[in-house]
This record gives sequence, C-alpha cells and structure tokens, in this order.
Amino acid sequence: MSILLNNDSRIAIQGITGREASMVTRHTLAYGSSIMAGVRPGKGGQTVEGVPVYDTLATACQEHGINTTIIYVPPAAVYDAVAEAVHNGIRLINIPTENVPQHDTIKLMALARSAGARIVGPNSLGIISPHHRAKLGAIGGDNPDKCFVPGPVGLISRSGGMTAEVAWTVKQAGYGVSTAVSIGGDALIGSSPRDLMELFQADDETKLVVYFGEPGTTFEEDLADYVSADKELKPLLCMVGGRFTEQMPEGTVFGHAASLISANAGRPSVKMRRLKEAGAMVAVTLDEMAAHVQAVLD
Amino acid sequence: MARLLENQALDLLQRGGMLVPRYEVAASPEEARDAAEQMGVPVVIKALIPTGKRGKAGGILFASTPDEAASCAEKILGTMLNSFRVNSVLIEERLEVTQELYLSAAIDHRAQATSIIASRTGGVDVETLRVEHPDALKHLYVDPYLGLSEFEARQLWHEVGVDAHLLQRLGALTAQLYRTFVSADAFILELNPLVVSPDGDVTPVAALMGVDDAAMFRQPELAATVQVGLERSWKALTELEKQVVAVNEAEPYRGTARYTEMEGGDIGLFCGGGGASLVLFDALQHAGGQPANYCEVGGNPTVEKVYGTAKAILSKKGVKGLLVAHSITNNTQTDAVAEGVIRAIDDLGIDLATFPVLAREAGVNEERAEQLFRARGIEYYGDQITLNEAARLMVERMREAERNSDGLEEGR
Repeated sequence: MSILLNNDSRIAIQGITGREASMVTRHTLAYGSSIMAGVRPGKGGQTVEGVPVYDTLATACQEHGINTTIIYVPPAAVYDAVAEAVHNGIRLINIPTENVPQHDTIKLMALARSAGARIVGPNSLGIISPHHRAKLGAIGGDNPDKCFVPGPVGLISRSGGMTAEVAWTVKQAGYGVSTAVSIGGDALIGSSPRDLMELFQADDETKLVVYFGEPGTTFEEDLADYVSADKELKPLLCMVGGRFTEQMPEGTVFGHAASLISANAGRPSVKMRRLKEAGAMVAVTLDEMAAHVQAVLD
Repeated sequence: MARLLENQALDLLQRGGMLVPRYEVAASPEEARDAAEQMGVPVVIKALIPTGKRGKAGGILFASTPDEAASCAEKILGTMLNSFRVNSVLIEERLEVTQELYLSAAIDHRAQATSIIASRTGGVDVETLRVEHPDALKHLYVDPYLGLSEFEARQLWHEVGVDAHLLQRLGALTAQLYRTFVSADAFILELNPLVVSPDGDVTPVAALMGVDDAAMFRQPELAATVQVGLERSWKALTELEKQVVAVNEAEPYRGTARYTEMEGGDIGLFCGGGGASLVLFDALQHAGGQPANYCEVGGNPTVEKVYGTAKAILSKKGVKGLLVAHSITNNTQTDAVAEGVIRAIDDLGIDLATFPVLAREAGVNEERAEQLFRARGIEYYGDQITLNEAARLMVERMREAERNSDGLEEGR
C-alpha cells in the first residue's frame, strides 16, 4: 500500500518537452516508474525519452486513460494547464512550478475543489512510493534509492530538499518510507500536512508519520488540532526548522515564501510546543529524529 | 511580496474609479510648500516609505499653511523611519471627517481565498482591533470566478452596522477596491481609515498596498517601480543583497539564489534549498557558531549563479570561513556548486590555510563534486555525515583557525 501513487497510476507530463521535464522523464523511467504520455501543444507526434507527445491532454487521456499529471510549465502557464487537467477528469495533479501568481493559485484550487481533484503543490518536488517504484516529479533525482527505500514511514515535508534528507535520515535509522510527499513551500498549496496525515491514517503500510515543517502559515497548528482531537492516530514525529528566525525582526522571510512570522503565529517554537501538547513527538535536530524513529519502530 | 508606496496605491485606486483626496509627491520642503499652496487647504504630510505604522514612528504630520507644510517636510525628509530612508513625502489634502471606517482586501491563506474585511472602527491598527474588538470586524470570502458584487458588499457593510444611507456608496467602493486588488495582483490592499465627510462622501485617507512579486511578468508598469526581493526583508536591501538579487534575476528561469545579510557573524553560509538552509542555520547556532548570512541556493542553478552568490557571501566584512552544504540534492548539480564556489574563492584570492572552507554536498553528480573540491584542497563530505555534523565540524574548524592565527600573532 501507499498513498496517492500506486500501480494504477497512469501518469502524463504536461510540458514534457522542457529541459527539466525531459530530465525528470529520463530519471523516472530509469527508476522503473512509467510515464504514459506527454503533452505539448504543437509538438504532438514527437517523443521524449520514448514517451509519446500529444498536442492536447484530451488526446493523451483517450489513448492512455491518464489519471495523474505533473504540470511542468512556467508560472504564467500553470493556471491554464491545471484547468486543462481538471477538465479532462484528472484526479491527482502535481505542480512543481515555483512562483505561481497567488491569484492564479486561488482560482486553480477553487476549480480543483469543485471537481474533486487533488492538487499537490505548487512548488512541490514530487511524490514517491518506493515499494511500487512509482514516482512523480524530480524527487529522488537520478538516484532515488540513495534516500528512498521501501518501509513503514509516511513522510510529509514542506521543503523539497528536506524530503530527501529526512528520508535518508530514516534510511540511516534502518527503515524506509511508504510514500514521501513534498507538499510545496508556498502558503497556498493544494494538500496540507493535515490532509496527508488523514491519508496516511488509512494506509496499512504506514506505521509512523514523519513531518518536516517551516516557519509561517498555520499548517502545523492545524495538524496539532487534528492530532489532539483523535488519540487513536498513528504516531507522528515532527521537526520544524528555522528556530533562529524568531530572533529576527518581524516581517523577514526565510526559507520558502510562506515562512513569514507575524506576531506569535508562525513561530517554530510555538508550532513545536503545540504539536507536542497534541501528543506528537518532536525532534530538534535530524540526529534526534533518527533516534525517535528507532524508538518507535524497533 | 513588494509593498507599494502610498502614492502608487492612490494612483491605482483613482484609476479604478475611486474618489481619493488630492495628493502630490514632494522631494523637498519647497516642493511641499508649492503643493500645499496649490491645494489651498490644510494638508497631511506623510513619509513615503513602504511600511505601515508610520504614524507611530513620527512619519505623519499635519499643517495648516504652506510654510508649515514645508517645515513638516523638512522634519521628515532624509530621516530613517522603520529602517527606511525617507526620500520623499506625500502631501495630501486634509479632509473633514465625521466617521472613520476600515476596509481591506487580502489573500487569506487558510481559506485559500480573497477575504474582504470591514469595520465601523477605522484609524486603528487592524491587529489591535482583531485582539481587542474581534466583533467589530466582519468579513466575507470572494468567489474568484464570480468576483465581488455590490450587493454582497452592501450586505457586509449592513452587517457591520453602518448608516443605511452609506450602503450604496460603500457597496460600489468595495467592489472597486476588489477590482483594483485583483487587476494589480495585490495580496493586500488596506484603506485605513476610510473616512465619511460631512456631505456623505466616502474617501480613503490612507492606503497600504502590496503586490505579488510572482505576478510582475504581467504587471509591467508595477514591475518597473517595485524593488523585487524587498518582500523578504524587514529593511532596505544592502548592497550585497542587491548584488545577489541581480545575480538571480540575470537568469530568472534557472535555479534560485537568495541572500540575507546578518548583523555580525563570521561564518559564510552557502546552502539550500529552503528547508535545509533553516536547519543548517539552526545547527550552526546550536553548535556555538555565528552565521554571517542566510542564503538559499537551489533549483539546479548555473555555475554563474553559484559563483555570483558565493562571491557576495565571501565579500561580506568579517567573514572568516565558509560552509557549503545542501540537503541531499534531487536536481541541483553538486558539481556546478563546486565549480562556482571554487571560482569565487580563487577570484577573491582566499587562502585556505587561514580561511576554513567545508563542503557537505551529496546527490546529483556528487562524484565530480568530490573530485573538484578535493583537488582544490577543500574538506569535502558527501552523505558520510549529517547536516548537523557538518555544522558542528564547521564551528570546530573556525575555532582551530582562530587558535592558529592567535599563535601566529604571538610568534611575531
């Protein structure tokens, strides 16, 4: 088992002919994951790493029964590409693009909500389920096995880079991940930590959920509320980076755009305290995190 | 998120059809006097800086005559307010006020929608209002596809409890505010206070507006006037910070480089992506080190971008060592990091014998990165050590270097 990705995922890449997208296509195929189709208006009939390219997503869907897409297009084109995905009945849409205008994000999320489609991102590095050798996006790079091996840990991270570092920490501790999700560093994202905690809750393979958070937003506070409301949940281990930002003047942004500390909201120490009070384990360093993982799973 | 100056916000509101007070920008006391003279009425003189809370900082003064306006301008011009130098002031017609209201449009991240907030109590800091009189604030969320209709805005103001005879005007004004908010790709547009005059006109006398940096590609007029990169800082950008913004903007679609100068500190920090930078900074402090800067370099930057950023980091006064580290990379090519960093070190003629440099770079192309770093005599680690250990080792190397230089001093 896993969340979001499994053997039934039929993946297409919108914007497959771009530099990053074709590199990701190559890495993904090498990992053993399949990409059924690519879309790029005007380049239908070509192939990228052997994957057929179509002019429209509608044709790709007719030919391959696509249910999952990655949006590899520049910020200005993201809204339109997501609308195309939603209109073609895609259920899971991953957006790696950074710097999508906020008003576009608001619109595309309203659209996805009304159609019941799930968005992961924007500014997400992707999703990986090692047991199925399924991956979406750049996550894991050219060597996913270096960090991501199959195991019982569900991983949620606001930072793409830290998704790999935390998975590696879990691996060093002697375990692996069921699914790792880079949810995106923006304040406006389609799937929150709380949403994914719910999904991991229903996943048999997952025995422990590990979360890496950052300053700003109320994601951690919302997660704490969810955890404290239900004591039967799977164990949750959290680390919130950026405690140093609390020494800085208000209004400073560190890390992702969302990391804005305003008054008391958004402070890592407050988030950690809330999560601890709600019953989650908290780690101050990655070394501590490894120790916690062993303590829960050994 | 770039904040606009108040005259820019007033320009946009006026163009959107809103009634605003007469205003002029003045860069000298003489210009302030001329503007006040032309208006021929009492005026308000406001510091044009991209922050709120100007009144508290002494940046808002009142004048009844043109001479008074000139002396008020003289008081404010050239001073530092809220960490910004005041280069110009806004001379604004002072209106007669019978009532002060509050109105804003802002992106609400939790609701994932634009929120319109209205209150019968204006002129107060909204954060204060939220804490002290939460009931005085009413809000609605706008459907991004339908927009804001006047009737919805009237319902909101009715709920707020304003006089019924104001509803028609407030409904139209609120719909105008929302249209300006969306068409400028703003994330905040606050009118506080919005004043009611004796004859029933409703006019904003203070406007605070911030626009989305990410949307500047479709806002050419705004893009020309806002300082990109300022949204991440609490103060005006330093020279080195501007330098990195320029390095980053030179190749906008390939990787990201951000740099924030800290006060003091001696460890140059070249790291990324967002999360790992936070973890490293924490870890360095935890180990007793003092980072001289914060930085994020990721998203597979070019050698050029790495070089430009590393050079800025190393150019800061008081930097005595460099930590180069990323979380295990998924797409950033660690050999490009090595190349750029080494070029900056060579360029600045840095002597590795007295200036410790430590690299922890694992992930894409790590074999070549290792070769490059080692060949240049730089202490290199891949995933043999954690980010914590890298930070701890760096602090150790700094202490060793300090001991050695003390030894040298004594030997002389």
